[in-house]
Amino acid sequence: MTVTLIHQSPAKRTNPKKHNHYGFQDFFQFDPDKGTIVDWNNSQNIMATEDFIIGLVEGLEEEVGTASAATMYTIGCEWGQKDAFFFEKWFEKEFDRPVRQTSLMFLLETWWWPFTAQGWGRWEVDLGDRRQGFMFINLFDSAVARTLGDVGKPVCFLYAGLFAGFFTEMVKKQLSCIEIQCYSMGETYCKFLLGGKERIDAAAFWMNEGATAKDIEKRLRSGELK
Amino acid sequence: MLSQMQRLSVEADGRYATDEELKFLATYLRSYDQRLQTYQKLQSSETTLIQQVYDRVRTKDPNTFRNGNTDHTSICKRDMSMNLRYAALAMLLDDTDTLREKHLFWCQTIMRACGIQRKCNLIYSTMQEVTQQQLDPAQARLINGVLEQTQRLLGGV
Repeated sequence: MTVTLIHQSPAKRTNPKKHNHYGFQDFFQFDPDKGTIVDWNNSQNIMATEDFIIGLVEGLEEEVGTASAATMYTIGCEWGQKDAFFFEKWFEKEFDRPVRQTSLMFLLETWWWPFTAQGWGRWEVDLGDRRQGFMFINLFDSAVARTLGDVGKPVCFLYAGLFAGFFTEMVKKQLSCIEIQCYSMGETYCKFLLGGKERIDAAAFWMNEGATAKDIEKRLRSGELK
Repeated sequence: MLSQMQRLSVEADGRYATDEELKFLATYLRSYDQRLQTYQKLQSSETTLIQQVYDRVRTKDPNTFRNGNTDHTSICKRDMSMNLRYAALAMLLDDTDTLREKHLFWCQTIMRACGIQRKCNLIYSTMQEVTQQQLDPAQARLINGVLEQTQRLLGGV
């Protein structure tokens, strides 16, 4: 059975085309009778505790061992690909223009805002190396890393998959993503590298050899793996 | 003020609030008449204020409202009015926390995405100069406290 949920907060009824709708009370509509939380884009939301995230990560590790990282990444990829279609629809409805006729930075900030409102953290996209075929994303307050704390290794595979899936769909080109710096390694924020598979595999190899995010940035910018 | 009331309702849950915790209400009520007058003054003179900001900014930097050959005057004036209205409401309610949460954090990322922080800095600093000239000193102090935050968040590089 498909249930259609519609967000009808006072803010949306008064001004459905309002773009700055990411305040907690504007973005979420709670229906205590139905037990639903619907966001501005009519998507159903579920509140999850940090215990849920720990349970998910540790439960998966127990079930599939080291493959849990790849599993989380794959879940993220599928989520990102699906979200790209969902985003395209709500963006065009809200802004009355196709996504492909919009400034890239504006588009990306608009895509990420619902995630920020949902508690996935704030981000910063660095498109400086886009023409070389890769880009960096800084993520502040990763829900996964913040929950797991300092465990000495990257943990945000779900995010890496989400970025890979979304950007692959948006640019219609197969892209991969790797977290090269993580809050869970004692850093102040997480950093992701997005690019073609060959580059991401190389970055993974360098990381295994002990390279830091700065080393990887330097090697890529110096033209290794053109 | 609304954010402070919300915090109070959480913190004083199940007990009576202390005199210290209630102080902000008395302070707000004492300032309410001044806030309302300032709000009404901004409402009645918005068109003039925005035009004056526009003229001054153009004198300082004629390219502020252009991007290459495209003229963005009407969009910029619309945004200036919108930000002045949000600032006026935050001033009236003495609630910059809500202004930041509902509007400025979002607007900041959009301004950065468009790469126009320097222009925002010029526009919202000029807006404070104009309100200083057009309003009573006490009224200007009230609204400029909020506009200064708008300038810092939207114009910060």
